[in-house]
This record gives sequence, structure tokens and C-alpha cells, in this order.
Amino acid sequence: MAPWMASGLIYASGLALTAGSITLLYITTRTFNFAVASMATWGFMLAYTGVSLYGGTPYVYLPLVFIAGSLLGLIAYYGLNRHLLRRNAAEITLMMSTLGYDLILLSIVQMFADYLTLTYKLYPRRVMLSAHDFQLFGERAAAFILPVIAIGLLVALHIFLTKTKFGIAMRATIENPVLAGASGINPDRVYMISWVISGGMSAIGGAAMAMAITGTPVMGMNTIPLMFAGAILGGLHSLYGGILGGFMIGLTEYAGVFYLSREIGPWIQGYRMGIPLILMAATLLLFPRGLAGIPWAKLFGNLFSRKRGDN
Amino acid sequence: MLRIRNLNSGYGKLQVLYNLDIDVPTKGLTVVVGPNGAGKTTLLCSIMGIARVFSGDILYEDKSIAGKLTHTLAQKGISYVPQMGNVFAELSVLDNLQMAGYLSKKEDAKAKAEQMTEIFPVLKKFIHRKAGTLSGGERRMLAIAMGLMKDPKLMLLDELSTDLAPIIAEKVMMEVSRLRDELGITILMVEQMAKRALEIGDTAYLLVSGEVRYTGKADELLNEPELCSMYLGIKQADDKGSSFTLSATDEGSDQG
Repeated sequence: MAPWMASGLIYASGLALTAGSITLLYITTRTFNFAVASMATWGFMLAYTGVSLYGGTPYVYLPLVFIAGSLLGLIAYYGLNRHLLRRNAAEITLMMSTLGYDLILLSIVQMFADYLTLTYKLYPRRVMLSAHDFQLFGERAAAFILPVIAIGLLVALHIFLTKTKFGIAMRATIENPVLAGASGINPDRVYMISWVISGGMSAIGGAAMAMAITGTPVMGMNTIPLMFAGAILGGLHSLYGGILGGFMIGLTEYAGVFYLSREIGPWIQGYRMGIPLILMAATLLLFPRGLAGIPWAKLFGNLFSRKRGDN
Repeated sequence: MLRIRNLNSGYGKLQVLYNLDIDVPTKGLTVVVGPNGAGKTTLLCSIMGIARVFSGDILYEDKSIAGKLTHTLAQKGISYVPQMGNVFAELSVLDNLQMAGYLSKKEDAKAKAEQMTEIFPVLKKFIHRKAGTLSGGERRMLAIAMGLMKDPKLMLLDELSTDLAPIIAEKVMMEVSRLRDELGITILMVEQMAKRALEIGDTAYLLVSGEVRYTGKADELLNEPELCSMYLGIKQADDKGSSFTLSATDEGSDQG
């Protein structure tokens, strides 16, 4: 594996999950969820608390992290989003309400960090969660496990959305809420489940990212521009596009920093966030609907037909 | 079955309907006609909890349903077929039918979907195709089939003939009268193709600028030359006979 690839894959997996969670909520409830930042931080904090107090690897705590993130999503929905959606609030209002929720979660996570320090003598303000990882094929296990978890969640979500009655009802509500309501589908339940899945994905994403970067109580706040960049690169209207966008943003950052610092100097490290953002801007200039708007089938079709012609 | 009393409704702060009184008798076909922008679609949206009811009441089986959430009305047996966006374009025909039968048990929904493909054979051919790829007429058939999947007591049909070729629109109208005659379903139909709708309807309401201008038997409205000519674009062929000709607008479409 190239030197940047292990960390890049771990980081990109986390970013893909958070970008996917932003996209899922946007297509179902029209809400840009800024609270994804603190939900991700909570994911890291709980995984850290688990390994510090009870031992084991961070992976053991991922189910718990998912449940905790889902609960945060439920609180956001029943405490805020549901009331605003019923009043047909504008997108900007929906978005700002999540910013308020994010600030509340951020304050509580800071208090929780102090509690861990005062009670258990832990120091969660600068954590290398990767210290609790193990080796697999000469690399950190996270480089294999986390992409599998991210892709596994995507596949599970795909099966849920295409093969189950409620999943198809979710797609129906996303496409046409009025007709879905007239069919007897309760949109309230669809929105609630979206928040549950999205909260869980954000929290696991945060725990995953903390396996590549230094975990801090403001980790989510520092990385939220890239989470949104992933969702926007994906086209905002496609869940699969959002997850792919997150992967691309994460991998580009690590690969870009590695190769550019070799070519033009280590000063580029200071601008590392700019590299994936330039990729996002360039992609959107060429394909305004993002990755989901690229005619992949046509592109691959042309590629194959050209290959056949060469032969 | 459905009684609307002194209804004032609209969207946000905009009032569209004024003091509406409408009765929809059980097992009858009630037709609401009127020019563009009369508030016909708003009437159906008000019943379905999509538009905002400012005052007045909507009684369904003698219970108030004004302002109720849309999905709860579907549970009560009211089926709504909107004018636009009446199928899930991204889902297959089969998934559309199954979503329409969302409230039924899986086996019941499956049996009902099969029954729908017998009533509308054209759907069987395209059962696994995305609904968005169907033609206008096929989509309308699917929309009606979806409305029927719920075993409705009351069907609200919004401008079924919109954007359809006259021959297809005629077929759709025949289907509507069959729903009343053979299945005994109570229907409230809003329609721009006024002449044909009035021919098959039992009771008619003429809606103009959000107010009712005519209430009575459907075929008798056709004998009101002034109203027909002024609001429905139906003109008398000659002074002596009672036959009418269609003007261009009679086959047009609007958002009501």
C-alpha cells in the first residue's frame, strides 16, 4: 500500500459515511444537517470512552456508537425538525435549527470531556484512537475494516431501500411526499427513520475519522467543510453519490498532500483542505449535478466500444 | 358521504375558496367544473389536508376531517388521484401499485395488484418498467389503478383528461363511469373536459373564482347556454337544438 493510502482509506471511509448522512437527510427532509459535526464527534468520544474504560478495539464499540448517533438523530427530529417541517419552514430555517442543535451537542461533548478527565483521569482532548488498532497484512487493520464497514452499510442501505416495503415507501416519499401521503404512507415515520439512520452513520463516520486524524472535542467542527464537500460533490440528490463524494474528497486530500508535498514542498500541508475543495469545484464546473449527474454508463460504454475498435 | 360546509381555504395566507357548500352523495359521480384558476384543484387539496382550511367544515361520513393529515385520510378510505405527479416516476409499475396498497397486508396488496393488471391489461405489459417511462395515457391508467388499490369508499379525481389525446381521454372517462356503475364507488371529479364530464356525472358544481355559481344535475348544466359559453367554453351549435359543440378550451388543461 502507498504510504498515504492506509490513512487515506480510513479517513475517506469516515468522510463517506458523514457525507452520505448529510445527503440522506437532505433528500428526505430538505434539511442541511450542521449537527453532523457534533454527532461525528460524539461517535469518536464514545468509541474512545469504550476503549479507555473497558479495553478492546474501537470496532467493538461501533454498534453502540451507531445506536448513540441514532438517539441523537431522534432527539433532533422530535425536538426540532418535526415541528419545523410541519410548519413548512424554509430550508434556511431548517438548516439554522441544526446549527443551534450542533452548538448544544458541542457544549455537552466539552462537558463530557471534562467529566472523563476529572473522574477517570482520561484526556480526550488529543487522542490517537489508532493506538488501539491492530495490524493486518502489515498495515493498520482500520485500512481494511473501515472501508468494508462503509461499503457494507451502503449495500445494506441499498437493500433496505430497494427490497423492503418501508424502504420503497421511503423512496416514494422522497420523490413525491403528497402522493405518498395520499397512499397512506406516514411521512413522519419516514423522516424519523431518516434521522435515525443518518445519526448512526454520522457517529460511525466520526469514530472512523478519529482512526486517521487526532480526535478532539472539536474534531467534527474542523472537518465539517469536507463532509459537506463530499455531499455536494456527490450531487446532493443521490445517496450513493454522497458516499462516493465523501470517499473521493478523503482520498484526494491524502493523496494530494502526499504527492504535492514531494513535488512542490512540505508547505502545501498548510493548505491540505484546499486540495479536495479544488477537486470539488472543478468537478462541479464540468458536471453541475455532481458525481450523480455524470453519465457513467455512457462514459464506460464509449470506453469499451473504443477498446473494441482498437483491437 | 362527503359534505362541505361554508369552506374557506387556500395556501399560506392566500385565500382561494370562498364559502363553499358541496354535497357528494354516496355511490354518485359528482363533477366540479370551471375555468382555469377557479380553485378546483384547491378544493380537492383542501379535502386531502394539503391546502389550508381557514374556516368552515368538511364532513366525511358525518365526521369532521378538515385539516387532518393526508395519510390519515387514506386510512379512512379516501383515495386521491392528483392531476400532476400522480405516479412515482422512479419506481416500477409494480412498486407503484404496491405503494398504493401500502396500508394492506402484503398478500392482499399482491392479489389486488394482480386484479388491477386484469382491469388495466396495459399495466401488465410494463409491470417491471419505471412508471416515468410510460406514456401519458398509460400513466393515467396506472394512477387510477393506484387509486383503486386502496379499495376506496370515496375517490377524488383531479383533471384525469389533462394532456391526453381525445381518444384516450374518452377511454379514461369511460373507466370513471364504470367505477361508479360496476364498483359502486363514490366519486368527486374535477374536470376541465367539461362537456364529457357533465354527460357522465350525476351532480355538478360550477366553480368560478373560488365560489359556486351553479349547483344541480350535471346534464342540466349543459342546458344553461350562458354559463356553458361564459365559463366552460361550450357553445351552442344552433339556436333551436339542444346540442352543443366543443370549443378548443374544452379539451385543454389547467392547474385549476
